Amino acid sequence: MPRYELALILKQMQRPETAAALRRTVETLMERGALVRDLENLGERQLPYRMTKHNQRHSRGTYFLVDFYAAPSMLSSVMDHLHRDVDVVRPTVLKKDAQVPNSNCCGPQKPLLGKTVLHQNR
Amino acid sequence: MLCLRELQRWKPVLCRYGNTGVRSFAVAADEAGRTEGGLVNMENPYREPQKGCVLCDVTVDFKNIQLLSQFISPHTGRIYGRHITGLCGRKQKEVSKAIKKAQSMGFMSVTHKHPQFMKDPNICGIKHLD
Repeated sequence: MPRYELALILKQMQRPETAAALRRTVETLMERGALVRDLENLGERQLPYRMTKHNQRHSRGTYFLVDFYAAPSMLSSVMDHLHRDVDVVRPTVLKKDAQVPNSNCCGPQKPLLGKTVLHQNR
Repeated sequence: MLCLRELQRWKPVLCRYGNTGVRSFAVAADEAGRTEGGLVNMENPYREPQKGCVLCDVTVDFKNIQLLSQFISPHTGRIYGRHITGLCGRKQKEVSKAIKKAQSMGFMSVTHKHPQFMKDPNICGIKHLD
């Protein structure tokens, strides 16, 4: 089970530079003893609002999701490193919880694949 | 004759409470759950299954911004309250927390709804004057 999830937003760059930034990030994690489990690319899209980072105003970015197992003590040093990286617009680390079984809620939980939309049953 | 015997059994109960509007008929039941008169002790056969809210068997995730955008106002981006969305307590909290998380992480806009999701079906019971 992944313990942490890093939602990374990288600056709008060319493909080799994006690859280099990703490589740097994953190497940082592995240097500090993390075990990277999964790396997902959520695509390059327009940011929901303009973000200012490193004296630059960003309106487009590439979204990545890194699942990794790590010790809690090394998270602060990883975040420090990511904030100092010029190519990273916004790094966020979240704890990944196991799904809580719903006993009182009305039915079993089914995960939604990708982005789906609910239709009203009336 | 059977009726007379039954009435005699119920007589002390009726006398105690007098002529009130509510009369509780406590009928003696035997081991099989059957009583004199043919009544069977069972749960209500007309009971409808408990209805859940719209998200009852759906996992709410901060990455699924299309789903989360269905619960915000298209004009201001404000999160709808429980009386509008119709969600149960747990799911409303989960949706609300996921929206705030997505907004702070840079996945979802705060002040408006993404134009791509404007045509999504309306779950919340709110009609906009368009």
